[in-house]
Amino acid sequence: MKDSLVLLGRVQAHPDSRCWFLAWNPAGTLLASCGGDRRIRIWGTEGDSWVCKSVLSEGHQRTVRKVAWSPCGNYLASASFDATTCIWKKNQDDFECVTTLEGHENEVKSVAWAPSGNLLATCSRDKSVWVWEVDEEDEYECVSVLNSHTQDVKHVVWHPSQELLASASYDDTVKLYREEEDDWVCFATLEGHESTVWSLAFDPTGQRLASCSDDRTVRIWRQYLPGNEQGVACSGSDPSWKCICTLSGFHSRTIYDVAWCQLTGALATACGDDAIRVFEEDPSSDPQQPTFSLTAHLHQAHSQDVNCVAWNPKEPGLLASCSDDGEVAFWKYQRPEGP
Amino acid sequence: MADSQDMFDAIVMADERFHGEGYQEGYEEGSSLGMIEGRQYGTLHGAKIGSEIGCYQGFALVWKCLLRSCASEKDSRKMKVLESLIGMIQKFPYDDPTYNKLHEDLDKIRGKFKQATFPGMDHSDGKLTDQLSKDGTSSRELTFLQVIPVVQL
Repeated sequence: MKDSLVLLGRVQAHPDSRCWFLAWNPAGTLLASCGGDRRIRIWGTEGDSWVCKSVLSEGHQRTVRKVAWSPCGNYLASASFDATTCIWKKNQDDFECVTTLEGHENEVKSVAWAPSGNLLATCSRDKSVWVWEVDEEDEYECVSVLNSHTQDVKHVVWHPSQELLASASYDDTVKLYREEEDDWVCFATLEGHESTVWSLAFDPTGQRLASCSDDRTVRIWRQYLPGNEQGVACSGSDPSWKCICTLSGFHSRTIYDVAWCQLTGALATACGDDAIRVFEEDPSSDPQQPTFSLTAHLHQAHSQDVNCVAWNPKEPGLLASCSDDGEVAFWKYQRPEGP
Repeated sequence: MADSQDMFDAIVMADERFHGEGYQEGYEEGSSLGMIEGRQYGTLHGAKIGSEIGCYQGFALVWKCLLRSCASEKDSRKMKVLESLIGMIQKFPYDDPTYNKLHEDLDKIRGKFKQATFPGMDHSDGKLTDQLSKDGTSSRELTFLQVIPVVQL
């Protein structure tokens, strides 16, 4: 496990405040970071180092909690504790706030673009998940307000290929939504975590979902369609989701983020014990009961809680992380040669 | 012989007997007071829900009327949402307090109302919060949605 995660560089992204989240653009050339200083910074490479290309200020009145790039890479959405979501349009190195989405009653905790680029989801401490539709004229319309969770909703993420939305909450559950007859409905609730679920990540195929929690475990869930060979019961024509793996005993504090590399399938976690860990699925394990091994464990990756880990979508092994200490770090991960 | 035993019995067991009688009396009194309090609470809470839904229904009916004359695509989508809201309100079982999906349906109505009023909604809400996680989650949070829809005639 030695040297499987190597530091490439660090930047002080959000001085005197927390860096909450990171997002790579679809081309993998830019990294957006956001934080407690209410700003969003766009980072790019110049030679061997990472430099700040743009600073997006004047967008929010409070902490920016999450940022998300649109699938085309021309727009950036930012979710803030000021209860609004800003949509920024990219014009070379400049970003202009073109729309502000209002409606949530309090802190917006997450925002995510659907792979089609036509839908956006936001979630908030007001316990609701909102689905928005965007048309060709960049007009946003709220198409659904989902009140399924009973507590603060921490994260939303879209399935990589289907119009399926997943949300994670302080109520210890993960909920899944899809559109049925013109309206969005919650069709499944994944229970099992014993505390707040902080983040979610789909695997490259979208067949599995990873969730991480305050209960210090990562759970892997799998979708079973009706009539599946494994004999997993489904109600009617709805698929069933089952927890097929629990990674416990690896993290000593809350796990704030989990990221599933779309290129290599490696799973990275961001933990409140200041460490970054990487797991890989054992190639010989049963797909219905997979086992994951810890392939990298970097203590003191940051000097405080690690809030986010993000795999570069084009360069395998390139990982970015950010922390309460306001720093963003870049890492090179290499799968260790096994015995 | 048996008599004197009974007499001592009565004295010895007096404490326990009075305990029992006292408990019985207290329990009955408590039950009836609880019933009264429960009824008062139920009436109040039920009225709040009724008032809230009534507000949504009034809002939806007025806007349905106002939009009837408009024909744009956006307005027809808004009509659909309003009609869906009115439908949900009509289906709500007002005379069955034991309906097991009561709160679920109420939340759906609230969500649909939010969708129907956005944007241009004026609202205020009151809540009790306590910060329990580093990004400000409140645990025993009570949120009352008091809506004052702005209707321009």
